[in-house]
Amino acid sequence: MIFENIKLAMFSIRANKMRSFLTMLGMIIGISSVIAIVSLGDTMRSMVAGEFETFGKGLAFAYIMSEDGVYTEDHLFTKDEAEKLKEAMDGHITYVGFSPSERVDIKVGRKIETVKISGLAENPTEMKDPKIIYGRMLNDKDIIGKRKFVVIENTTALSVFGQEDAVGKTLKTTINRQAEELLVIGVFQNTDSALKKLLSGGAFAEAFVPESIMIKADEPQWGLYFCMDENQDMTQLQNRILSYIARMKNQDIESVMCDSAQEEMSSIDGVLGSLSAVVGAIAAISLVVGGIGIMNIMLVSVTERTREIGIRKALGAKTRDIMIQFLIEAAAISAAGGIIGTILGISIVGIGGMLVGVGVVVKPTVVMIAVAFSAMVGLGFGMYPARKAAQKDPVEALRYE
Amino acid sequence: MKEIIKIEELNKIYDTGAIQVHALRDVSLSISEGEYVAIMGQSGSGKSTLMNILGCMDRHFEGTYLLDGISIVEQGEDDLSGIRNKKIGFVFQAFQLIPRTSALKNVEIPMVYGGMKADDRKAKATSLLEKVGLGERVHHLPNELSGGQKQRVAIARALANDPALILADEPTGNLDTRSSHEIMDFFTKLNEEGATVVVVTHEEDIAQCTKRIIRFQDGQLVSDEKVVKEG
Repeated sequence: MIFENIKLAMFSIRANKMRSFLTMLGMIIGISSVIAIVSLGDTMRSMVAGEFETFGKGLAFAYIMSEDGVYTEDHLFTKDEAEKLKEAMDGHITYVGFSPSERVDIKVGRKIETVKISGLAENPTEMKDPKIIYGRMLNDKDIIGKRKFVVIENTTALSVFGQEDAVGKTLKTTINRQAEELLVIGVFQNTDSALKKLLSGGAFAEAFVPESIMIKADEPQWGLYFCMDENQDMTQLQNRILSYIARMKNQDIESVMCDSAQEEMSSIDGVLGSLSAVVGAIAAISLVVGGIGIMNIMLVSVTERTREIGIRKALGAKTRDIMIQFLIEAAAISAAGGIIGTILGISIVGIGGMLVGVGVVVKPTVVMIAVAFSAMVGLGFGMYPARKAAQKDPVEALRYE
Repeated sequence: MKEIIKIEELNKIYDTGAIQVHALRDVSLSISEGEYVAIMGQSGSGKSTLMNILGCMDRHFEGTYLLDGISIVEQGEDDLSGIRNKKIGFVFQAFQLIPRTSALKNVEIPMVYGGMKADDRKAKATSLLEKVGLGERVHHLPNELSGGQKQRVAIARALANDPALILADEPTGNLDTRSSHEIMDFFTKLNEEGATVVVVTHEEDIAQCTKRIIRFQDGQLVSDEKVVKEG
């Protein structure tokens, strides 16, 4: 009997192809947008997580807030203090530095290119670990020796030197209002995904130099970057570091502030999560609209087929038989729309991901929930028309013109 | 002879709120197995109301109605569906075939609701269509058939579940004279094979094809007589 009803429903959907398709469209749009939006959110969350996973999970920035807004040496850090902190933490800090950065123009002959130049301290690869394609990365000797070396991006090398392999060439720039001539010792390739470049707004290529050539050793700096050993309990370690800083600088622990990558990650994750939930919920409203479309067309169908209902009832169809026939029809339209919408939604995310060069995340649970929800919408909104059909009086229905 | 229809003191009142219409008044009649009966009357005589009650589509009446020994007034909605399915074969004036559905599928409908298996259903529907002379047109859609052919499909459908009663409501009302005779000949043949046939009509010559005529006027049974065949 159920099988017969499914056949009847399919027959009726095929008999009104255009109408069925238009009715499905609501579900198709609803489901595909829910899947696309939720998957987009999941993709971004996994990218954020991946970004921190590979590099910099233990990175944090500490600074001292001045209550009255006046900053003196009490609030600033010297290189010695940074080293003292590193030593005090029994090797659980892998990097400590001021990591100054500045937007500068580099000049080679008549060619000029703007880059974001960053100064790195000892153990530079703990802070920045670029993919070197020519030459080498800065090392501790370069940094301690205040060598005027620079590591540049391949795109920068190409535009100022006309070739990617620029190792051994020199370029001119101005750092801290002071003219410098730097020797290129390495060229790296930017491995960020297109989406990440977009998000970081990184219009400028990066370049790395020893921190020591960007700042004077005796000049105290506001705030310092440190990398924590990721195998440690980082929350505990961070607290230990902050209280050490407070003691060292004779400050209240409350005025020592800290932004850590981990906290940032969880807050970005939280924002993205609630953002995709909210937008997903808005998209889900379109499912309800789609459901109303199904209810509407089913009501039309029931009215149109009043006579058929009368005939079926006269020939022995029970209330339940008629009800199931129309319910299955509504659920089939809705589920078909759900399946098409799912395929469309995944395709949209997939093609979008391919264009931006990002591996997309489509959770099976999201797909399952979307399809189940669409069938439920069909059943829910099909219920009223189906009941209306089933409760028709056969005598009246047979007489319907 | 077994009584297929037994009605006693049947009253039907349509209550429209403002006025009450007494559609059937103290009707008592009995039809036995193998009879061939015409129920006659002008429009408004109550014959359509009686037809709906006889067809178990209306159980809101006073009095008793036993169909093949089953008291109809005591049945629920779905029980009546089952009774219509098993006991009654309907033939309607407007054919009442389901559009865009082949003759075969139309004949199968009562068997679908009777729970018969797909293969058995198809075999029986095919043989019934052959019986009414439409063996060549099993896959035709209703709109590809003439009026007479449509009514023959309807007769095949009425026979699907071997009903105790064939109930025809103005079966020739939408047909030309030639097709009308063809259809009445079918009923005659079915009756000769032992079927109980009740034809509701307002046409005298159609009624004359049967063996017994029950006449209604203003909701009351006014005459019940055997048809005397000439020659």
